[in-house]
Amino acid sequence: MSASTADTALMPTLKLSEDWTPEGQLGLMLGLCEAQMDSAIQESDQSIDTLVRAFTELVETARAVGSLTSNLPAEVKAQLDPSTQNQLAAFSNQMAAAVVAFQFYDKLSQRLGHVRYSLSTLAQFACSRSQMQQPEQWTRLHSTLRRLYRTQEEREVFQVMMEGDGSGFVHASPAPLSAGTNERAAPGEIELF
Amino acid sequence: MSGAHQQTILAVDDSASMRQMVRFTLEGAGYKVVQAADGMEALELARGASVDLVLTDVNMPRMDGIALVRELRNLDSYKFVPMLVLTTESGQETKMRGKQAGATGWIVKPFNPEQLLATISRVL
Repeated sequence: MSASTADTALMPTLKLSEDWTPEGQLGLMLGLCEAQMDSAIQESDQSIDTLVRAFTELVETARAVGSLTSNLPAEVKAQLDPSTQNQLAAFSNQMAAAVVAFQFYDKLSQRLGHVRYSLSTLAQFACSRSQMQQPEQWTRLHSTLRRLYRTQEEREVFQVMMEGDGSGFVHASPAPLSAGTNERAAPGEIELF
Repeated sequence: MSGAHQQTILAVDDSASMRQMVRFTLEGAGYKVVQAADGMEALELARGASVDLVLTDVNMPRMDGIALVRELRNLDSYKFVPMLVLTTESGQETKMRGKQAGATGWIVKPFNPEQLLATISRVL
């Protein structure tokens, strides 16, 4: 059996039941996207939890070693390889960088959660043909999604896609946003009131 | 950290990995850290313990960080306790709501451990 025949054989038959509607199918497809995203987020959450636990243990071990080293008698300390202290200092810097990097995963989860919620909202919206034909209902949907996207990056993407010429955004315009993202990779702003 | 008294920080975030990052950053600097996963749990903890500073996220289930700050400010023992908001949100509107609720400051995630510690020691 050729690959194309196999593909065809694996294709599910579209069941045209009495309550079949294009809106219903669209809602179903959007629900599928949401479920796929949910499954991927849950899977990666488990991995990141394992990674965070391992990192925490590593940090605690390094701190214990650092504490032991600093409490050594001066004559013993003098015999230590000087690079030991340098390595501990370097580890401390790497730990700070890792703390920042871990937080980007948290931010990613939050952003994907917002996309998932958008898909769910859109799926519900798409179920009603009359709703989809009313421009004011679309305006209301836009407002709902705009309120959902609260980080600086999300607001920028929303603005480019919904209020500017978003055509080909994914393929043609990563450069300006990437530059912005690199800038934002620096730790966030702090404001005291 | 000055003095013999070990200062206690209440860290509130619904993300377990974020709480871990905050915990070992603060513990590494000698603070005692108590944790809560949402505003409601934090409020319960704060009522039953003496806390020197609150560090809270905004978007959490049951009770968000801004409501938590507002609730804590209504308690006599938390009128003057520094409360920092640590969030991905950078919008002026939300920030102003935090300020009006009684937050001491606003930190946009991701935090840099050194800068977080410097900010905490500044407000404590």
